[in-house]
Amino acid sequence: MAKVFIYPTTSLILSDLVARFGHTPLSAALQIREHIQTPGLESPPLQITPEDPKKGLKWAAVEVPSGVRGRMSLYGPMIEQAEAAIIIHDADFSFGCMGCARTNELIQFLLRKGDIPVLDLRYPRTEEEGIEFVAAIKKFLDELAGGGV
Amino acid sequence: MTEYLPKYVNTVTKYVFVESPEMTPGDLAIRAYEISQGVMIKETCFGLQITGKEDEVNAIIAHLREFDPAHIFVKDRGFPPGDSRRCRANLGGARPGYFGHEFEISISRFISKGLVELPKREAIAKPKPPAPEGSAKLDAKRLRQIIEAMET
Amino acid sequence: MNLVRIAQLSCGPEYSGVQKEINEAARSVDAEIFFPDIRLADIRQGFDLFGLDVRSPDLKLAIARARALVEGKIEADAVFIATCFRCAEAAIVRNELRRYIHENSRLPVVSYSFTERTTAGTLLTRMEALTTIARRRALLAREVQEGLTLGVDSGSSTTKAVIMRDNQIIGTGWLPTTAVLKSAEDAVDIAVKEAGVKREEIQAIGTTGYGRFLVGEKMHADLIQEELTINSKGAVYLADRQHGPSTVIDIGGMDNKAISVQDGIPGTFTMGGICAGASGRFLEMTAKRLGVDITELGPLALRGTGREVPMNSYCIVFGTQSLVNALAAGSSPEDVAAAACHSVAEQVFEQQLQEVDIKEPVIMVGGTSLIQGLVKAMGDLLQVEVVVPHHSQYIGAVGSALLASGFIKGS
Repeated sequence: MAKVFIYPTTSLILSDLVARFGHTPLSAALQIREHIQTPGLESPPLQITPEDPKKGLKWAAVEVPSGVRGRMSLYGPMIEQAEAAIIIHDADFSFGCMGCARTNELIQFLLRKGDIPVLDLRYPRTEEEGIEFVAAIKKFLDELAGGGV
Repeated sequence: MTEYLPKYVNTVTKYVFVESPEMTPGDLAIRAYEISQGVMIKETCFGLQITGKEDEVNAIIAHLREFDPAHIFVKDRGFPPGDSRRCRANLGGARPGYFGHEFEISISRFISKGLVELPKREAIAKPKPPAPEGSAKLDAKRLRQIIEAMET
Repeated sequence: MNLVRIAQLSCGPEYSGVQKEINEAARSVDAEIFFPDIRLADIRQGFDLFGLDVRSPDLKLAIARARALVEGKIEADAVFIATCFRCAEAAIVRNELRRYIHENSRLPVVSYSFTERTTAGTLLTRMEALTTIARRRALLAREVQEGLTLGVDSGSSTTKAVIMRDNQIIGTGWLPTTAVLKSAEDAVDIAVKEAGVKREEIQAIGTTGYGRFLVGEKMHADLIQEELTINSKGAVYLADRQHGPSTVIDIGGMDNKAISVQDGIPGTFTMGGICAGASGRFLEMTAKRLGVDITELGPLALRGTGREVPMNSYCIVFGTQSLVNALAAGSSPEDVAAAACHSVAEQVFEQQLQEVDIKEPVIMVGGTSLIQGLVKAMGDLLQVEVVVPHHSQYIGAVGSALLASGFIKGS
């Protein structure tokens, strides 16, 4: 069972398929859940405080906007844990957690810099592409450690 | 500075969405209530949110999936259900993540097709992973021909 | 007070930990922040039609929401645009959305680029002005002063008082601010004496400036109002440009305001208040160094040219040091005065005027507008003839006296 970073990190489809084929999807929700369930100072809506962009300095320098660093404080730890990644390239309408293009570029770069298998895809537009999409993901996941269940 | 005391600590919340000709989100809810055993279940536009201890939630979901495996989709949610910080009534508009769901639900029928068709095909006949491709460049020679054709 | 609904168009505040600060600033002026509700199809269409092909999905969402507001599909009283400081993509969107909303709707709009250090306090005056414009449009429509009214501007450096009767200024008072209430009382006494009226005859009172709440409460003022809206109103009134567009620049003792005005009502504005090197205070220090009164600095600067004086810093400390060095190296006091004026004008130009659309007439107000060298430097930078109306140093008091007449019983 491998930890698979999914991009977009909010994707229902990727989250479902990774879990369905026997692996652990690393999604934004897990990090948000941790913030929401940890006591501290109130900072709605996401319980991300001004301290979090400072934690993001590990992945992005101080001249990088606070929103990028705040987001990286969510994704950086997941990228470090990831044993594989699936990236959908035309995720143009994923808002909020995936709302910043600069963060998204950095996430993709860091995933590729790590020595992990990466599957690149586009969203299917037809039924045939849907079959190919699912097939590609299944094959990729089956080949990971603990896959093929 | 106000102290923040979280609710629903040590629980997980998962979305269970259904997009099926056989089953409505309402049907799914009825099935879920039947087996809920105290786990919190809440209906949403596209399906359900189930909140409780992780293994209990997973057990219910495993059971629900059996009703329509190719048309039920599951993902984690960071917030518990009905949280005022994410609620449309308080924000004035949908939370940002809603649009992502709206988009992915609109193409879920292709995924369902894939899930149904894939096991039926021979292993050898399974399609190769489609990688993103750039648009093909026009051959310079051909471009020249076009320009010349325009000039005459 | 009616709740003002402010639509937020943004990218990044939730992830910078500052959404709470935005909410709090709004709440403290009886306003609430909301996120315009649109559908996915509207996002795609709105973004495509706007034509600015940005990459960040949250900026696309902001664009689509702005379109829904302008088209009236969603009702709001005001708009707050917020994006991360240092993000070029967001800065372009922020500026273009502000311009788009300003030109295509009557919604007041303010924009801000935040860092994780942004606090509700920083946002407060902006939110107050935004809600005032939304809440008091009818009051701000007043073009003529009626009856006998008093306006008091309790500023950080000076306190000004003006008595008006039947659309004429009949008395003025001006004092450095020492104790807020005492300075205000004394300035009013001077104005009342000059006007030849009795205090009990005054029919309505308005206060503005830093000390507006304290002074307003003591004097039982009818109108207590922040200076962004008051100064805009006062500027177009005194310059007799109440209709159409104009730009109001007020370089103050502690902060600077650049306001894009339409028919006397602020549309977009910026406030700077962090750097003393871009303030009237810097010019006061320069005058002191040159051994002249602040009133002499302007004429002195007009006779000099700043180009010969090397200014290595905008900072009030290092900038003053540059001026001292220049004097020691043989620069004339005229050139040094001109360089100081140029430095302040350039800093305001670079840091604030880029964020508002400069439309003529450009009206300079406040005490610093009497420093002719500064007005010339600003005109040179903007390539326009800057208008300085009569009584421009009394701008806040005049605006307050004008608007206060809306509170005279039976008017």
